[in-house]
Amino acid sequence: MDHNTHSTAGPRELQMARSMCWHCQSEVAGEYFCDRCVKVQPVSKELDYFTCLGFPRRLTIDQHQLEAKFYELSRAFHPDFYQNKSAAEQTISLGNSAMLNTAYRTLRDPIERAEYLLDLEAGSVKEIRNSPPADLFEEILELQDTLNEYRATGRVSETESPLRAKLRSERNTLEQRQRDMEATLQQLFVQWDKLQDRGEATDQARAERDRILKQMREHLSNRTYVKNIVSDLASTIG
Amino acid sequence: MAYSDKVVDHFTNPRNMGSFKKDEEGVGTGMVGAPECGDVMKLQIKVQNDTIVDAKFKTFGCGSAIASSSLATEWLKGKTVEEAQKIKNTDIVQELNLPPVKIHCSVLAEDAIKAALADYQKKVDGALTDAK
Repeated sequence: MDHNTHSTAGPRELQMARSMCWHCQSEVAGEYFCDRCVKVQPVSKELDYFTCLGFPRRLTIDQHQLEAKFYELSRAFHPDFYQNKSAAEQTISLGNSAMLNTAYRTLRDPIERAEYLLDLEAGSVKEIRNSPPADLFEEILELQDTLNEYRATGRVSETESPLRAKLRSERNTLEQRQRDMEATLQQLFVQWDKLQDRGEATDQARAERDRILKQMREHLSNRTYVKNIVSDLASTIG
Repeated sequence: MAYSDKVVDHFTNPRNMGSFKKDEEGVGTGMVGAPECGDVMKLQIKVQNDTIVDAKFKTFGCGSAIASSSLATEWLKGKTVEEAQKIKNTDIVQELNLPPVKIHCSVLAEDAIKAALADYQKKVDGALTDAK
């Protein structure tokens, strides 16, 4: 898919799956509403969330701009404003609102946004990996043993303190690691955006693209593993 | 969503939890993870004369992931290496009555079995090459 075309498109231009108005059959020129009969147009489920909200496929997004766009479209599509309209328009309003909400929720969070982009660009990041980070996994499983030990001793036991201290320091280390991973991800996001902005179609650019996506995938999933054990630690030792 | 009785049973009373030494003879280790939920699973088999005589697991994850790997180790014991290859995630889903949102836990268990068997095979092949 050519994802460079979006960058030149204005924020209001939206590529509808149907180029013809469902109501008056006149050509729809890439708006959420038909120019001629002013009927609301269904946002296709095939559209990616970036396009749906009129943003280019970038990982750095201005939160205020995103929010403003979301509110603008929420008002435009809200089912309350379609109560006196035809059944067809009510259905479109519902569908568009649902799509809009999901799109906004996904793009609002930088990590979810990146996971979604990866999903679009390189297949699902959520696939089970075949070459997992064995060292990290060993560490997590070992830590889980210590956690179980701690849970078994209970809070009154005398062995609690050293174990608790150990877990606390593990937690600090892992939290730092999570922050480091997020910083690396942030750098990758910037690299991705720059590459997109250049819009080159050379072999070198393609190799760079694959490298960024691969590293992003790796850091995103490792971050999930670390985040999980951190939250388990936090809920156990408080 | 409520867990099935079998999941609860395996979760509260997991079978074969623990681990073998990785470099022990006849031991195959499978280590897999699901980035989707952050679950991590380690499953090990101990093979003698082409038969799995023992299996152990360690899982960091939800109840269904623990139950899936616990059940997998139970099934693995006594099977030949070839029979073990035939264990499918759908068998686990059926036995544990896993809901659709937890199917990936059974996939993870199947992947762990496959990885453990592959690791064992690699060890055997390596030993053969060394012997030559």
